[in-house]
Amino acid sequence: MGEPLVELTGVAHSYRANRVDVPALGPLDLRVEPGEFLVVVGPSGSGKSTLLRLVSGFERPTTGAVEVLGGPPVPGRDVGTVFQQPRLFPWQSVAGNITTALRWAGVPGADRPQRTRGLLAQVGLVELGRRRTWEISGGQQQRVAIARALAARPRLLLMDEPFAALDALTRERLQEDVRSLTDGERAVVFVTHSVDEAVFLASRVVVLSDRPGRVALDLPVPLPRSGVPADELRGSAEFAALRGEVAGAVRAVAA
Amino acid sequence: MALKESGSAALSATHSVLVRVAAVLALIAIWQLLVLARLWPPAVLPGPGQVWDQLLAASDSGNGQGGYAGSTVLERLGVSLRRVGYGTAYGVLVGVGLGLVMGLVPVVRAVVEPFVTFLRALPPLAYLSLLVIWFGIDEEPKVYLLLVAAFPPVAVATATAVTGVNRQYLEAAHALGANRLGVITTVVLPASAPEILTGIRLAVGIAYSSVVAAETVNGADGIGGMVLNAQRYNQTAVVLLGLVVIGVTGLLIDTALLALQRAVSPWRGRA
Ligand SMILES: Nc1ncnc2c1ncn2[C@@H]1O[C@H](COP(=O)(O)OP(=O)(O)O)[C@@H](O)[C@H]1O
Ligand SMILES: [Mg+2]
Repeated sequence: MGEPLVELTGVAHSYRANRVDVPALGPLDLRVEPGEFLVVVGPSGSGKSTLLRLVSGFERPTTGAVEVLGGPPVPGRDVGTVFQQPRLFPWQSVAGNITTALRWAGVPGADRPQRTRGLLAQVGLVELGRRRTWEISGGQQQRVAIARALAARPRLLLMDEPFAALDALTRERLQEDVRSLTDGERAVVFVTHSVDEAVFLASRVVVLSDRPGRVALDLPVPLPRSGVPADELRGSAEFAALRGEVAGAVRAVAA
Repeated sequence: MALKESGSAALSATHSVLVRVAAVLALIAIWQLLVLARLWPPAVLPGPGQVWDQLLAASDSGNGQGGYAGSTVLERLGVSLRRVGYGTAYGVLVGVGLGLVMGLVPVVRAVVEPFVTFLRALPPLAYLSLLVIWFGIDEEPKVYLLLVAAFPPVAVATATAVTGVNRQYLEAAHALGANRLGVITTVVLPASAPEILTGIRLAVGIAYSSVVAAETVNGADGIGGMVLNAQRYNQTAVVLLGLVVIGVTGLLIDTALLALQRAVSPWRGRA
């Protein structure tokens, strides 16, 4: 393996609330390699969002070091982020949101229309570019948010429970699309509290313990990443076994 | 698929125009009834008909006195609207700029807000004298008076809107690599636009209602000047004509601004 994309060394984080430090995460060590699809599972309040905020650079660790691509992370430079809510700008059209992201990513003006179309096509929404953001469904909004986060072609994509607010059917369809995002060099760190979602998406699952979250399980998921239909994969014996193992760990930390 | 809101709190654009027209008609009807009741002599309360006659007379540039005291109602309206236009335009520029800085830098807001509130509490006539001493009796003091009257509501509305911008949008912008200027132009200002426009509507209203005060100084050519002149000669119908013209055009301007507000922020309340 070469250089890790993300390296957390002895990282712990506390928030200051009412004059006391409340530990939220760690201490923990974690490396993410290029091409990995790391899914972090943990009970609510175990510090999953905190972990992503540390990696994206929105938060500095109380102790320890966070390195992304060999240095401390700067928000909006090396990392793309998809939040639980799509956070699209409602004063811009669907395509406008993506064009803005391309502008902020430094893409020259002449290239933006074509790149915008390409990104919309990638998430299957070419026809909806002119729509207002509230005129498309929640699942489509989250697709636009993903396209927007990919505008800068980030080596690392962070996703914080992006499908939690969607209905089961929409969620499964989006999972199938997101699974292939690690094609090539890109790594994804995806947070969820759904065990099924974790095992389906991940090339590796990390289970966090209850607050402050530490690594309770670090499990490679050797399921095939292409060539097998999603339903077949979800119904396979290997899938069931891995799901059992992760669910066991989640139950143990919640107890 | 467009989301249909049921039981929407706001009236649609057409509805709100209809309501405004109906309110004006109702007011005229009540006025006419009061006149018919003969509670006051016609010299004190002329009826809508008399005011209408005055409008026709004062609009006729060939009536031997060039409309009313040298200019027609339309010319006067143009002169006053120009003053209000300049005053509020400068006021909006100052107000949005100042409000933006106030909203972005809490220290500035803490220091500046008391002064803005102080200015807001002063009646325009109170600082007119000072402006006349400083700027003479040409157009400047009138435009500056309207500027001073117009900018505080814009500044306060802008500052409040900027402070209230949803942090989730700001974070999303930073996550996408926006710099400070990008965040301001692409997120903060558009997100604040509806509230800023509310401030501008207030400002136009205040500036417009201050136009009579502004025209007490060498402003006989405006619509406010006409009111002041008519008052001197007890021409009640002309005074009322001036008030009606100011009121109706003010209403039209506000309706236009309301339409503009709806047009630039169709997303309001939806996201
Ligand atoms: N800004 C904050 N200030 C104070 N406490 C916080 C803040 N953000 C999160 N916390 C606390 O830190 C802990 C971990 O939060 P979070 O990372 O959001 O967990 P998760 O995403 O796993 O639900 C929780 O106990 C939460 O209440
Ligand atoms: Mg969370």
